[in-house]
Amino acid sequence: MPGLESALSLLRQFFPPDLSFSYIRAETAPLFETLEIAAGAMFLALIIGLLFSLIIGARLPGSRALYGLLTTFRSIPDLTLAILCVVLVGLGPSAGTLALTLFYSAAMGKIFADLFSSADPGAIEALHATGATRSMIAFYGLLPLRLKDLLTYGGYEFESAIRASVIVGAVGAGGIGTELVGSLNMTDYHRATTLIIMLVALIAAVDFLGFYVRRQPKLLLVLAAFGAAAAWHHWPHLMVVTQALKTFRTMVPPQLPAEAVRELPTLIGQTLLIAIGGTLMAVICALPLGVAAARNISPLFISFPVRRLLEALRAVPEIVWGLILIGIAGLGPKVGILALGLHSAGALGKLYAESLENVAAEPVMAMASTGGSTLSIAGFAVLPLAFAPMTVHTLFRFEWNMRAATIVGMIGAGAIGGALFNAQQLFFYRQMMAYVLITWAMIMITDAANVRLRKYWRVSEEL
Amino acid sequence: MLKNHRTVVAFISLFLLFQVAVGADTVAVNVGMVPDAGATQVSIKEKAPLKAYLEQKLGRPVNLIIPTNYNATVEALGNGSLDFAYLGGLTYIKAHARYNVVPLVQRSSDLQFRAYFITSSNSSIHSLADLKGKTFAFGDINSTSGHVMPYLEMRQAGVDPNTYLKYRYTGSHPATAKAVESGAVDAGALDETVYQSMIAEGKLDPNKVRIFYKSKPFVDYVWVARKEVDPATQEKFAQAFTDLKEGQDEEVLNILRGKNFVRANNEEYTVLRLVAADLKMF
Repeated sequence: MPGLESALSLLRQFFPPDLSFSYIRAETAPLFETLEIAAGAMFLALIIGLLFSLIIGARLPGSRALYGLLTTFRSIPDLTLAILCVVLVGLGPSAGTLALTLFYSAAMGKIFADLFSSADPGAIEALHATGATRSMIAFYGLLPLRLKDLLTYGGYEFESAIRASVIVGAVGAGGIGTELVGSLNMTDYHRATTLIIMLVALIAAVDFLGFYVRRQPKLLLVLAAFGAAAAWHHWPHLMVVTQALKTFRTMVPPQLPAEAVRELPTLIGQTLLIAIGGTLMAVICALPLGVAAARNISPLFISFPVRRLLEALRAVPEIVWGLILIGIAGLGPKVGILALGLHSAGALGKLYAESLENVAAEPVMAMASTGGSTLSIAGFAVLPLAFAPMTVHTLFRFEWNMRAATIVGMIGAGAIGGALFNAQQLFFYRQMMAYVLITWAMIMITDAANVRLRKYWRVSEEL
Repeated sequence: MLKNHRTVVAFISLFLLFQVAVGADTVAVNVGMVPDAGATQVSIKEKAPLKAYLEQKLGRPVNLIIPTNYNATVEALGNGSLDFAYLGGLTYIKAHARYNVVPLVQRSSDLQFRAYFITSSNSSIHSLADLKGKTFAFGDINSTSGHVMPYLEMRQAGVDPNTYLKYRYTGSHPATAKAVESGAVDAGALDETVYQSMIAEGKLDPNKVRIFYKSKPFVDYVWVARKEVDPATQEKFAQAFTDLKEGQDEEVLNILRGKNFVRANNEEYTVLRLVAADLKMF
């Protein structure tokens, strides 16, 4: 661990950002590419996801197997998919588009299928009684019934796709993420800061756009046309596809050499350490920050700046935090813990604040009427009431962090992600596939354990 | 129904409009370089004179591409996204084994290349043996002067990095230099030409870092062609490099960090193949 002094001196090198017109103009192309990757992938994923979910919703033959496939695919982290796609179709936005299309087709297919399965059964029965076929029921029954929810979820997923399209760039899949890694590798820290500002601005702009699109669904047409054009432009060429199939054959069957098998317990241990350590750090930071951000507890002059701080923390994805920290905190799992901790502190802080604000008013009033101080009201009424939702948020965060822990290693924080990335870099593709499978199994197991834990504590998943 | 019709027409016209906006591909020669010194729009811009020089010599437009890592550069040769590429020694033997790429030219200095081991000027490290128990930075995992050869020499000196050190891959030579300068790691190994040019350009403070060991010479970087590129174009490309003269093409030679170019061949890399296989990197 380097001294605090050298860490601070390195941190100072990130300021001031390079805000020259020529640089920002040069970087608008990669920024646009990031947007193209996200829009193109989302356009394709929406079509594929909708198709899959309608097949499942209408209970057409094979729908069970398809649902299982979607659940499986969703458990492979986006960055892991991006690495696979970079190997298969080469560097650049094609790989990014393909990776995000796969990831979000599975994600949206599953979410939409879940939405359809909770559609009003009466309406479906009525359609069935008219003698409509299953695909007709899906198209004329399920789709109109759930259109509004589809739009809402589609919007949320698009925002998350923008973040993901930045992240996939870190492994060479194009866009501003690629630029950011390049700048950090070139030790061009001033410009790295500029890129981070541009990325936070892009995410904010998309959030804003999402708000408008939800109110004006017609705007979706423009977005869809842009997405279609981007997907058309970035879809891999035929020659690349045939080469990809050849490359894929060199990846199977997965295989680990003996030394790598001996390393495996350490790698899995490091991954768990990053996930648990990161979540713990986030909880420790988010508790005071959440209280400070809760508008029913803290005065405005505290809650307002704390809310902005939380927004800034979570606007920067874990991978990007990791890239910045690796230069400051040196090497090893502590970089991963800090990266996950900072991002999750922002996310959990906001959720904690919301949980605290959403507590039922009556018990708090009762407490206040006895003449309790603000602190005792917070401690004895608000906090205990908000405890259940806060636990659920923390559990979901841990589930999320388990995914993040498997990928944050790719940027130099060790763990399973580091081993996967190194195997890929050295062209040991069968070894890489073995790590992909292990990553997938780890996530499936934590997801399943989390579901059981929530059931055990009888906390609803609807929160 | 009419409303739906209009929606479709609107969609198609918007699609076509955006098609024009996102642009079409040109028929150009795609030239790639491993990111030995960064892979950003800025570093591509800095290499504009090289691009212009190659366009003039080949008589065709050139796309200069710098992928984010060494692996991606090799895979790009495999799937046809690159026609020519500048590779390191290890990436060359891998690209040759996988895709039969053709070695064309290299700097005469590439035949006698060295890696520098550096540490901060006030550190207690003065030899490879002093590295025991320290933190260390390699460059890209596929780099010859930033990983393979330094790794080999450390092992030969009795300091196996896997047993005695904590190390990481910074991804590039400048990042290694900066990690040592800032104290994020105790020591690191990098390409000699990158070290010298960083000092010359003021990007690295010579008062803060010092070289404590220079590796034995080895064969490193080479320019290659994808095997499907027609022989005439390959020849033109090689000629463009051997034509470079000191005093006359200073700007281009500075970008390439070299003085003159010679023809390269596959046999030069026999020793490196053995070393890399022995270190389980090939």
